[in-house]
Amino acid sequence: MSEDCPFDCPESQLAREQIRENKKKGRRKWKGGRRVVFQLPELIDRISTFNMSGKLEIQWSPISHKFITWGAEMSLYQVQPLTEELPPTAFKVSDTHYAQVLTTNTNHHFVRSIDIYPKCETDLLLAIGLANGRVALTTFGPSEHDATGFPGKELVPRHSRHCNAVQFNPTEHNLIAAGLDKYRSDNSILIWDINKFNSNNEASHSGRMAVNTMAPAVELVKPIAEFAPSEVTYSLAWFYGSSKLLASGMNGKNIKIFDLRDPNKMVNSTSTKGVFNVCTNPNDDTHLASFYDNQICLWDMRNFEKPIVFIPQNKPVVKIEWCPTKYSSLASLQRDSSVINLYDIKQTVVSTDELEPNVMERIVTPGSPHNITSFSWHATDENRLLTIAVSGSIKDYTVFDRITVNWSTTTIVWSHGRKTLSYINDAFVDDISSHIKDRAKKRYGVQEEFAKNAELVKDNLSLANVWNWLQLTVKLAEGGMIRDTEEKHPGVLSVLSNIDPNQNKSDIVTMAWCDLGYPNCQSSIVFYRHEDRDKALRLCSWPLERDSQYLIDFIDHLETAKAYTRAATIAVFNLKLQLAIEILNRAPNDTDYGSTLNVVAMALSGFSDEPNSMWRQNCSICINKLSDPYLKAMFSFLTALDYNYDDVLNEKGIAVDDRVALASLYLPDEKLLDYMKKLAEELCSEGNLDGLLVTGNSDSGLKLLQKYLDNTGDIQSTTVIATRAFHDDLTSEIVKNWIENYRDLLNSWKMFHERADYDIMLAGFSTQKPPQQVYISCNFCGKSISAYLQNMDKSRGGPQLHKTTTTKAKLSSCPNCRKPLPRCCICLQYMGTTTGEPSGSKMTPFELWFTWCQTCRHGGHAGHLSKWFDEHQECPVSGCKCKCMALDALAGQP
Amino acid sequence: MLEAQDIQAEHKDLIHDVAYDYYGRRMATCSSDQYVKVWDQTTEGKWIQTSSWKAHSGSVWKVTWAHPEFGQVLATCSFDRTAAVWEEIVGELPGPGERGTRHWVRRTNLVDSRTSVTDVKFGPKSQGLQLATCSAEGIIRIYEAPDVMNLSQWTLQHEVQSKLPCSCLSWNPSLNKLHPQMIAVGSDDANPANGGKVFIYEYNENSRRWTKLETIGSVVEPVHDIAFSPNLGRSYHILAIATKDVRIVNLTPVEDEQSLQSGVTKLDVQTMAQFEDHNSLVWRVCWNLTGTVLCSTGDDGCVRMFKMNYINSWKPVAVLKGDSSKAQCSSNNAANGNAVTAFSGTARYIKLGSISQTRETPWH
Repeated sequence: MSEDCPFDCPESQLAREQIRENKKKGRRKWKGGRRVVFQLPELIDRISTFNMSGKLEIQWSPISHKFITWGAEMSLYQVQPLTEELPPTAFKVSDTHYAQVLTTNTNHHFVRSIDIYPKCETDLLLAIGLANGRVALTTFGPSEHDATGFPGKELVPRHSRHCNAVQFNPTEHNLIAAGLDKYRSDNSILIWDINKFNSNNEASHSGRMAVNTMAPAVELVKPIAEFAPSEVTYSLAWFYGSSKLLASGMNGKNIKIFDLRDPNKMVNSTSTKGVFNVCTNPNDDTHLASFYDNQICLWDMRNFEKPIVFIPQNKPVVKIEWCPTKYSSLASLQRDSSVINLYDIKQTVVSTDELEPNVMERIVTPGSPHNITSFSWHATDENRLLTIAVSGSIKDYTVFDRITVNWSTTTIVWSHGRKTLSYINDAFVDDISSHIKDRAKKRYGVQEEFAKNAELVKDNLSLANVWNWLQLTVKLAEGGMIRDTEEKHPGVLSVLSNIDPNQNKSDIVTMAWCDLGYPNCQSSIVFYRHEDRDKALRLCSWPLERDSQYLIDFIDHLETAKAYTRAATIAVFNLKLQLAIEILNRAPNDTDYGSTLNVVAMALSGFSDEPNSMWRQNCSICINKLSDPYLKAMFSFLTALDYNYDDVLNEKGIAVDDRVALASLYLPDEKLLDYMKKLAEELCSEGNLDGLLVTGNSDSGLKLLQKYLDNTGDIQSTTVIATRAFHDDLTSEIVKNWIENYRDLLNSWKMFHERADYDIMLAGFSTQKPPQQVYISCNFCGKSISAYLQNMDKSRGGPQLHKTTTTKAKLSSCPNCRKPLPRCCICLQYMGTTTGEPSGSKMTPFELWFTWCQTCRHGGHAGHLSKWFDEHQECPVSGCKCKCMALDALAGQP
Repeated sequence: MLEAQDIQAEHKDLIHDVAYDYYGRRMATCSSDQYVKVWDQTTEGKWIQTSSWKAHSGSVWKVTWAHPEFGQVLATCSFDRTAAVWEEIVGELPGPGERGTRHWVRRTNLVDSRTSVTDVKFGPKSQGLQLATCSAEGIIRIYEAPDVMNLSQWTLQHEVQSKLPCSCLSWNPSLNKLHPQMIAVGSDDANPANGGKVFIYEYNENSRRWTKLETIGSVVEPVHDIAFSPNLGRSYHILAIATKDVRIVNLTPVEDEQSLQSGVTKLDVQTMAQFEDHNSLVWRVCWNLTGTVLCSTGDDGCVRMFKMNYINSWKPVAVLKGDSSKAQCSSNNAANGNAVTAFSGTARYIKLGSISQTRETPWH
């Protein structure tokens, strides 16, 4: 059992401790000549597995872009921002940086612990705690430290044993502490002053120690302080704030605090098993952390009896380290794990009682491909962490502080750590909210003419269609076409509702194809006429008569809009095959399918209604290969058997208008009504705005709008369409809720003018006059003056609200008690005094309106008051200290 | 347009929350340094700090604005076991034409909780001035200021005990008078065996009590943030949940005989989307004004945005990347052709561009 093996793990230390204890017992027992039972094998097993893992360590150096790793050998690396071409020996450690080996030092074997001299400018000076107990000072090649004579020096304890920990004092850099295993009654913590040893080593020999069992030839330097006789030191840590204090984990039993100024006794101690990796918080001397097995202990130096918090871990802990750039944040690494756990520890004092600290856990994944064996925080770069894995893979990772985020009316803001907030305008997201805002600015929805609203949303076809439909229905209603319905914007469904297959039948018209100019056809086509069907056709903007000029115009219009297939199909639906062929032939070749259209025209010209004709059979086969829905519908229509047009009517690719019109022409009464109901239902459940044509402004139309809103979140169109088309429903809960939401949206964008425009429009549709918002009562008798005024108005006839000032009753005193009304505190005139303005003007100018402060209730003419507050802060009434103008915190803001 | 602007917030510890007022012209931040800061936007669009004060004796978790109708009012909650209501008052004026010094005074300190108060939110303004808090001990408290002109008087109206510690809450912002008041509460309890971590409570007019309507059983991981989207007249409510992933849940009130009789809403709960784009824990979620775009942040250090594209199909649309140490810019955006060139120093965040593929994840 060699004691020189470089065991690193605390577990192995414990194990070794036990081995030694056992050995000792064994030895003693041997001496006693009694039989001994060794229980070593499993302990040795445990140790060797640790040993075999070839544990790699990593540490940032005080030079901000350099770090070291050590295991079997020590290497120095530097980190550089990524460039186009990586140097040959470099490898990526993050998305932005690469690392490169600078040198490797293989001079020292059995390294147990390393610390880096904190005062390095360009080169590193390392203190290496070795398995034989020495602390060697070394560098990577020639360095700035050569002049000081430090490199190559060794600090040697009296007796050889493992050096478990070595640490430079973070404040007084010249002090170095080493924690050693136990050797009889020898001290296990030694502290050297490297400055002293340098000056002493030649001049005086006081530094020499008398006994050196190990290497008598080596010059020995006397430590400046020694602690802890006959104890084992597992870990030690200097305090950052008070540089003379040192904490150490001893014996597997306690943590002790020593003071350099009083080497004879320890300052403080506590008994705990958590003796490993004792570390002090760089930002708070009261905090100490340590661990054992899978338990992290947090200590408060002011109350050292027991840990303030235990943090349980799932697996045995390997390493813990305080984050130097955060106030109180501890990182821990567990065995066989590729993640780092972070703990933010917050202590809070409420009056006198201290609350249990709040520990916030976070797990970060530095992206290491294998289990991490060690990590190290960067001393100055915020939250920057290096990890090294079993495989030697190194990752440079920056832990992101938790980001909070919020979204205002226009901007997204998010935090970054403690210092920075970032914000960005949300306009880059193409979303309905930005459309709503843009459209509201252009007065969408409140434009008098429907067509203008349609123009504003021409980027959204179905919305524009709704406005065009509204325009059309109004035109038709005005033209007397659909006068007999009660609704202003009737849907096809309600227009057709009078048709009854028994009582109010449609006329059946049968027309032979040969009469239409297709002499090679024998059969005929059947269509239906009814005055309500005519109205439906009108609503779909279809012609009533096939031969009217209207059809030609309608088709010309479609052609100019480049909807060639639609134009041709509508021509076919109106039994104008010749026209359809002409249209298709006229279609320019530059369109996507211009040349194919000519082929289609050719196919069309072969039309034959003979059920068994080759044309018909081929068409039926080819239909499914057509991609254009209109062409598909055209041939479906021509090849339909027994006047069954289901294929056309259920073709979703063609406009709802055309499907409705086709049904109105060719479906028998019963089928027509069924089809319309089914279509209305289907479009409602889809929230397809085209369905408004079918439903009109009925209840199902409202449901359709709700569905549209659910689908798109377009509260604006929903609200304005409801306002413009559903007058009867304006008082229903559902529409009121939409209106409220839309107004609230405009308000939070501060689009008050747009909201007011909308309010005015809304009030115009309301049958009730807006409720009175201001009431005046007498200051003295408390009776309502406005009520009196209203009565007076009524007695004169009619509501006077919108009348001009000339006819308005003027009062300057209370009609009940005859006391004067309040007066303007600037000009001292009573409210109601004639202003002397020419009585012809429509309304009293705003400056002469009476206004008052809601808090002190003093007031006067608006013009007078605004002038007053331009120069003063306090209320014009003497003795009143009210700061009327500044009360509203936003009032002063631009 | 894609360049993000920075504000030097200079809190001394992590910023936990940032809140906008109704109009988006004022902003409040709170931090573990126990301070609250208020920021105002100038006409040029710059944000300047107008107030900063030590609000609590522990980390301040959340800050929130009341509707401006009630004045300039903030509420905060803290690890120090209290929640507080603050009002801005105008101090003595320095002289004519200048704006007075303004400061925030504590109007009330709500000390009912015996543990950390983890969230605080004002209720919808139609219900007057109501405040809901939730705490680590699992109690949801509803306070009310009976007189909106007197903010120092708050009465504890309801105490609702949830079985698990609460981490976050959200009021349903629906303006619809037919919808009873509703609150969603999330729990950061780490044990999946304890079941669902999101609870929906509703105020029942008949019994005058808050009752639990629903536990969303599909969310068993700890929940860190929760947000109802603005309702905007929709017939259903959308709830965003920040847990190990981003969850979007639709809550549709079902109108049937039973619910009409009892007056208790029945909810149809459907998970519409689940995004693991952060590839790590999701910390916060928030909505845009129309509830059509969701923003989330996660431990991957990214702000991600998800958008509803017609009929509840949600898609990731953008990533804003934050980097602590350096100005970093890149653009993989072919669709919009946004040319983003290197900014010097100031711009740390930029839009990385629209995501064409759903599962695109930038790694650091």
